Amino acid sequence: METTREPHDRAVVLAVAGRLDFGHAKDFEATLTVCIGDAAAGGLGLILDLGGVDYVSSAGLRSLMVGAKTAKAQSVGFHVCCLAQDVAEVFRISGLDQIIQPLADRAAAEAHLQP
Amino acid sequence: MNVQVAGEVDRLPGLVDDLHASWSALELPMDLLYAFDLALEEIFVNLATHGRGPRLPLQVGIRLEKRDDCVLLEICDDGEPFDPLAAPPPDLDAPLEERPIGGLGVHLVRAQFPDIDYRRVGGQNVLTLRRPLA
Repeated sequence: METTREPHDRAVVLAVAGRLDFGHAKDFEATLTVCIGDAAAGGLGLILDLGGVDYVSSAGLRSLMVGAKTAKAQSVGFHVCCLAQDVAEVFRISGLDQIIQPLADRAAAEAHLQP
Repeated sequence: MNVQVAGEVDRLPGLVDDLHASWSALELPMDLLYAFDLALEEIFVNLATHGRGPRLPLQVGIRLEKRDDCVLLEICDDGEPFDPLAAPPPDLDAPLEERPIGGLGVHLVRAQFPDIDYRRVGGQNVLTLRRPLA
């Protein structure tokens, strides 16, 4: 798993690639927590681009759920986009899509940011 | 793939590599790999973290087989009798704040594998998962 922070004027953008599995979930959660903290401090939203992620297990879903809870507690908009088809399927089966609405692409995620 | 390993979570990356190598060697369809990846991880991690038995870590056997009409994954362990399919499904309608963090793994696997069965055979738990081949 690799994470890359990208510059943006209204959000902290985190692009993720690889596997969000048992072995990577804790690192991912830690990175996500830092990004949410930075977004809260800067009055920004968070865009999580999962376009490069080809596998998410329940451990990865748990990290995302923790991220959504943390973001909500800090009043940070949490926007997830660009899911691969298999990953979107796991979101749906787990019911996570009812908590984190997956957005089609970056433009859709940016449209959800506060002006 | 036909291996016996100690049921310890740090064995998982090696097992995933083994699954992927076997998948390629058997020329199995790539669109089915996600489901088997998920089954291997969720079941193995459950055994490694929650498995109970007289001797720990559990001994876990994992076998992948290509048959004429299906792909079969069999996971067995020498722990106490435990049927993972008997666990109640998680509450997927609960609001965010009330969701327990956990309990999803078996649910995901069941959704991916309509054809799954648990048996207790010769002092072993045996979980067999199948997906049809087109």
